[in-house]
Formats: sequence, C-alpha cells, structure tokens
Amino acid sequence: MDTPQDPTPISAEEVQLLEVKRIEKQAHRTRMILFGLLILASSLPLFLTLNVPNKPTQATVDLYSTIMAVPDGSTILLQTDWTTSTRGESGGEFEGLMRVLMRKNCKVALYSMSDAQAPKVAMDEIVLTLNPERKLKGEREYKAWDDYISLGFFPNAEGETASMAANLRSAWNGKKYINDSGEPEDVFQSPVLSKVQSITSVPLVVIITATSSFNVLIERLSGKVPIVALVTGVMGPETNVYYSSKQIQGLATGMKGVYDLETMMEDGINSPGPNGKVGFQWENHPPVKGFPGETNYGRGKLYFPTLHIDMALLILAVIFGNVGMFMAKKRGNR
Amino acid sequence: MNEHYAFLKMTAGVLCTVGLYSVLYRENKFYRFFEHVFLGLAAGYAIVALWSENLKEGWYDLLVGSAGTNGHSGPYGHYLYVLLLPIGLMGYFVFSKKHSWMSRVPIGIVLGLWSGQQVQVWWTRYGPQIQDSIKPLLPTVWSPAMKPDTTGMTPALADAVSKNVYLSQAITNVIFVITLLAVLSYFLFSFEVKSKAIRGFSTLGRYLLMIGFGAIFGSTVMMRFALLIDRMYYVWIEWLMNHVIARKF
Amino acid sequence: MNFSYPSGSSTLYLALAVTVIFGFLIMFGMMSMPARWRRPVVVTCTFISGLIYVAYYLWPKPQSFGPRDIPLNWSEWVGSQLADTIGVAGTISTALTTFLLGLGIYSLVRIHGRKLIRMQKDWAFSLVLLISMLAIVIFGYWSYYQTKFGPDASKLQDAANWTWVNYTNDFLFDGLLQQMEGAMFSVIAFYILSAAYRAFRIRSVEATILLASALIMMLSLMGAVEFLWNSKFDHSGAFVANFQLTEIARWIRDTFQTPGIRALEFGIGLGALAMGLRLWLSLEKGGVSA
Repeated sequence: MDTPQDPTPISAEEVQLLEVKRIEKQAHRTRMILFGLLILASSLPLFLTLNVPNKPTQATVDLYSTIMAVPDGSTILLQTDWTTSTRGESGGEFEGLMRVLMRKNCKVALYSMSDAQAPKVAMDEIVLTLNPERKLKGEREYKAWDDYISLGFFPNAEGETASMAANLRSAWNGKKYINDSGEPEDVFQSPVLSKVQSITSVPLVVIITATSSFNVLIERLSGKVPIVALVTGVMGPETNVYYSSKQIQGLATGMKGVYDLETMMEDGINSPGPNGKVGFQWENHPPVKGFPGETNYGRGKLYFPTLHIDMALLILAVIFGNVGMFMAKKRGNR
Repeated sequence: MNEHYAFLKMTAGVLCTVGLYSVLYRENKFYRFFEHVFLGLAAGYAIVALWSENLKEGWYDLLVGSAGTNGHSGPYGHYLYVLLLPIGLMGYFVFSKKHSWMSRVPIGIVLGLWSGQQVQVWWTRYGPQIQDSIKPLLPTVWSPAMKPDTTGMTPALADAVSKNVYLSQAITNVIFVITLLAVLSYFLFSFEVKSKAIRGFSTLGRYLLMIGFGAIFGSTVMMRFALLIDRMYYVWIEWLMNHVIARKF
Repeated sequence: MNFSYPSGSSTLYLALAVTVIFGFLIMFGMMSMPARWRRPVVVTCTFISGLIYVAYYLWPKPQSFGPRDIPLNWSEWVGSQLADTIGVAGTISTALTTFLLGLGIYSLVRIHGRKLIRMQKDWAFSLVLLISMLAIVIFGYWSYYQTKFGPDASKLQDAANWTWVNYTNDFLFDGLLQQMEGAMFSVIAFYILSAAYRAFRIRSVEATILLASALIMMLSLMGAVEFLWNSKFDHSGAFVANFQLTEIARWIRDTFQTPGIRALEFGIGLGALAMGLRLWLSLEKGGVSA
C-alpha cells in the first residue's frame, strides 16, 4: 500500500495571494449588494405616488419672483448648457422655466456655450414635451421663429459672451434661423429678436447648466442685465457664491430647486389659491401669483421622493461602514 | 412620430443603458462595444456640429455674405475672414516635428484673446464678492441679541429694524470673515512659513474648508442620484410601463 | 480700401481667392522662416490679440453707440472702432477654437485608424468606433442639408414629414447617443455609494468635519426629514426657530461654505489673473512663445 504523500507546502506568497483574492471576492460581493440595493431604491418608489412636503429656499423664491416680474411678451435670452445626461435635474428646470415663460407669452432666444447637442435637446423638449402638453389643455403651441429661436452652439464662450456684452447685434450678425415660410432668415428679423438692440434691452438672461459655464456668463454680463441660474447639484455651492454677493438675482440648485420651482408654480408666494388659502408663505415678501390648476408638477415631484430613499441608503452605507471600521479596530486591539 | 419607430428607438436606448451598466459587474466586451459606439457617436456629432452649428454661420456666412430675403438686402461678404483658414490649419502642424512651432500661432491668438479679457473679468467676477465680504463685525444694537420678528410692524419701522446689526449677526459676520481669511491664507501660504500664528491660521482654514467640501459632497450626491433616478424612470416607466406593458407598439 | 463686397459678386470671389492664396503663401513662407523670428511672430500675435480687449476695456466708451451715431471727436471714434472690433475678435476666437477642436477628433481618428490598419489588440472595437463616427457624420450632414437647404426643408421641420435619413439621424442622436450619455453619467452614482461605504471613514478631524457637514446638507435636501425636524422647532419668531434644519443648513451654507468657496476661488482667480498677464506678455517660460 502506498503511503499518502505529504501535501505540497504552500509558500507564504501563495497564502497572501489567496487572502487577497478572498478579500477581493468579498469586496465584490458587498459592492454588488450595494448596487442592487441602489437600483431597487431608485426604481421601486417610481411606481408609487408619494407626496413629500417641501419648503422652497430664499434663492428659489428670488428666482421665481424675478422670472414672474419679467413683463409678459418680452424676450428672454436662455443659455441652455444641458443635455439628456442631466435630464433629471436640468430637464426638470428647463420644463419648469419654460412652463412659466410660456404662460407669460415670453419669447425665448436660446443658445449654448458648452455643448453642441444642447440647443437640439432644448428644442426637442419644447416640441415633444411642452407643446403636446399645451395642446392637450387647448393652449397655443409655441412656434419656432415666432415664439422661440435657436442661435446654436458657440464653442468659444469667452469671446462670444464678451461680444454679446459689447454689441449683441454685431455678435449675432449673420446668424440665420428657419422662418415661418421655411426659409433661412436673419435672426433679428424674427419676432423674438426684432426689438432687441443690445444686451441691456433684454429684461432677463437665464442660464440652465450642468457645467461651470455660468462663470463666463457672470464675468461678462453681470451688472449689465439681470441673471438667474438653474444649475445641477454639483454646481450649486459654486453658484451660491454669486447669489450671496447679488451677482445673480435667483438660483435653483438640483432636484430640490426643481421641486421648489414647481411648488411655487402651484402655490405662488403669499398668494391665496382658489380655496382662499395661502399655499406657501414667505416672510415679508410681496405676493407673487402661481398657476394653480395647471400642469406645474413634473420631474421634481416625480423624482424627489425617490431621492429621499437613495440619500437615506447612502447615509446608512456611511454609518454601517464606520461602524464596521470601529468594530474591526476593537477586534484588532483585542 | 411613427409609434413603431418610437418603440424601436426606446428599446435601443434601454439596450445601450443595460450594456453600459454591465460594467458595474465587471469589465466585459459587451460594455466595451457600447463604450466605443458612444465615443464614435459623440466624436461624429462634434464633427457635424462644428460646421452646422458654428463655422457655417459664425465664419462662412460672414465670409461670403448672403443674398437678401423678404425685400431686405443681405450682408456683404468680408473676405479677410478667409485668412482664418490658413491660420486655423496651422494648428494641425502640431503633428509635424519640424514645423510644430507654427501651431502656436493660432493657440497664441486664442490665448491672447482670453488673457486680454482677464483684466476686466477678474474685477466683474470678484469685485462684488470682495465688497460683499466686507461685513460689519461689531453690533450696532446690543439688546436684543437677535433680530426681532418684524411681522405687524409698519414698513418704515421694519426697515429700520432690519438695518441694525444685532449681536447674533455680528458673531456670524466674524465667523464669516475668519473663515474667508483662514481659507485664503491656507491657499496663499502654500510655501513654508516660519510664523506659528500663520501656520495655525492656515490649519484652521483647512478645517473650515472641510465644511464647505462636505456641503459640496452633499449637493454632488443629490445630482448623481437624480441622474440615476432619471435613467431608471426611462427604463421602467417610459419604456417598460408606457410602451411594452401598455402594448403601445 | 474696401473690406467687404456684395455677396455672390465676382469682386468678392476674386478678393477671396487673392486673400486665401496670400494667406497660404504666408503660411508656406513661415515654414521656411529662420528660427530666430519664430518667437517674435508668436509673441506679436499673442500680444495684439490681447491688446484688443485691454484697449477696449481701458479706453473711454462712446456716449452713445447706435448704428446712426457719429463720434464726437477722435477719442469717441477710437472707442467706437474698438467696440466694433470686439465683434470681430469674437468671430476670430470662435472660428479658431472650432478649427482647433478638430485636433482632438483628428487625434482620435488617427489612433483608432492605426489600430485598425495594424490589426492591433482590440482592433474590432476601433472599427466599431469608426463606423459609428462615420454613420453619424454621414447621416448628420445629410439630414442637416435636407432640413436647412433641401427643396423640402420647410416641410421637414415637422417630424411627420421626415425621410428615412432624418429618422436614421434621429435614431443615432436621440436614440443612442443621448441615452448612452445619460447612462454614462449616472454610473457614477453607484461608485459614490460604494465609495461612501468603503472609504468615507471618520479617521481624522478633517474627515469628521466633512462627514458632519455632508450629513447636515443631505438631510436638509430631504424634504420629509426637513418637515419632521422643523415641526419640532416650529415657533416663528422665537429663538428656538433658529434650530430648524433649514435654518441650520442655511447658516452653515452662508457662514462657512460661501466664504470657504469664495476664498478658494479668490486664490484660483489671482492665479488666473497672473497667468493671463504672463501669457499675454509672453513672460511664461513654458508658454506658447517658448
């Protein structure tokens, strides 16, 4: 009978390698569990109708007041620097803003300084989302050329914005857009820009951005024309610096900003609703009307409850991670 | 728009989303395929947009002018703009070993134009912020310590009350100014300083900066989760519920 | 001397031809330029470009600058010429930046083209990239031509009248590119969660401060939490109302976050101003004039 052979001795290196592989596998498993939980947390609440209370901030109150103070029928310049990648926040901001402007019959000249796709995305949003909504309610659909035009994408934001500040007509000289006869025509022949002589004749410039393109805008246009900004969450703290020094007149940040805007569109500010009650009160603020009964809520109300769940998951992940660290330390000390 | 086309388009979008999300499990060929499709489409769209969104109207139409429409005379052609073509093409000499210096001409012009603007934009950007940072550090009214509620007051009285600097506001202003100076000293004194006071102040600046970074982290988290929620909405609600299950195809 | 001619006129085409030939002759001449002249050429171009804006900002502006206004004196004349030049400078920077953006695309095509031709590792993916790029370029331009200049341009503004070319372009752009862009950006959310669990640890004073500030900010963004917390301290006008979550978050934001980021940006801004001046005056050692 053969004697059993001694098992091949494993070297210290191989032991270490096995240990590393085991840890990697465990980390991978934990990661997959976390990812799965995140997908569930981000998906399940979307199937439910959840209402979350919300109180707008000072910055969004100022934003809404500034937009509502714009005279009906006037022309707004809209720098739209977002694409579908940030549709969750920027798309919601755009929809909220355009709903208000459309109800005030304001004309919009939109352009982009940071993304070639952005003007098309914004116009698709008007054509595919906002116009059908208005059509369903029996309201006038917004027409390209008469109510809005796109000036396209300008890759050199610094030079172009400086030109706009110096001489708007010269900056956009030669720019064409398809008129209502289907022919390309000078944008200053459009009802949108025909009365605009310079940047100072525009009552408001709005920027919706997911990048730091607001820096270039504020550096060159601040002080010449009122500016409001609707930015994504990651840009919020930086833009808040401008808001706090009054370089911009209003600010909406991220998903919270979208929901704040939608809340004020529904309730107004210190404005009694159809039932006579004031839906949203703000200390020492003149009343600003809302649009009760119209389509005001959109992505803000849809996504905000789900955001709660996701953020709660993150907070729990941080807590459990630290608890695990402390327990491991204790075990190590023992 | 044709409903079959809309469903096909959405399904393609969902497939791309799932393909890109597969990297969460592990790097795989499925993910790499979609990654390369994405890069190709993004680069290709940039090529289209460079002409259609910009060069055509921002340069070419200025160069050749255009015929008038609807009774208006068209703008003249400014032929000197054609010089931008050889200057712009000089940028491509960066790939040439012998003549790479020529690429610095268009880059120099662009950088020169940017630099020239910094003189004024610096003040437009930071001037109001410097002004706003100069805050009163001493209260004008010691009692009450906090600003009283102005509800029910006449506008003139409310205005007068609001103009006072109360003790709580003064303390906030002091913290504001200390934070500003401490963080500034942390960045400005990046070299070795012998003074213990400045070193300590810079360290304080670092700690105070962490509060700002924490707030930035919170906002960033909100944004990234919002993007994910929007993707999930697209997949589950817009595609699955509204198209597949509602049998809209 | 005339710098513009009517569109479509033979004079304009002649001027264009002469100017472009002149431009390319200058370019070829520069290729044979002695080395000692290279730096002065680049320095001069950079300086003159920057001088336009500096002069515009420093020179007194004309009192009124409408299309029919006449300058009062030579100072106003110079001011009005400078204001006109800003528009030209904007066109120059836009056009040159656009040309230079092509560098990145050229680089991408070169790298992947080389991979494909030499059948290097993962050449199939490079083929996929080039095919996607080619597809959207072809259909993008084709659709652009149809919708802007084609005989049915006005009809094609309505999606109901689209041709297969427009549908293909829309499929590539809206169906694929946009959705993939959204997916790419949203993947980061997963990594944030994973990093929060594995790396966000209270190991130092800085980390603790950061974590506490982040938690307060995140809680203040959650409306439900905000509502519950605030209701415990809901006495308007009373001292205790200052402990509402919205008030705490607002105070942290206005008292710590704003000055912190402001100081950070002051530091960056001072650096950018110094860099801007050094670039304009070509004082930067490793800059464009090196």
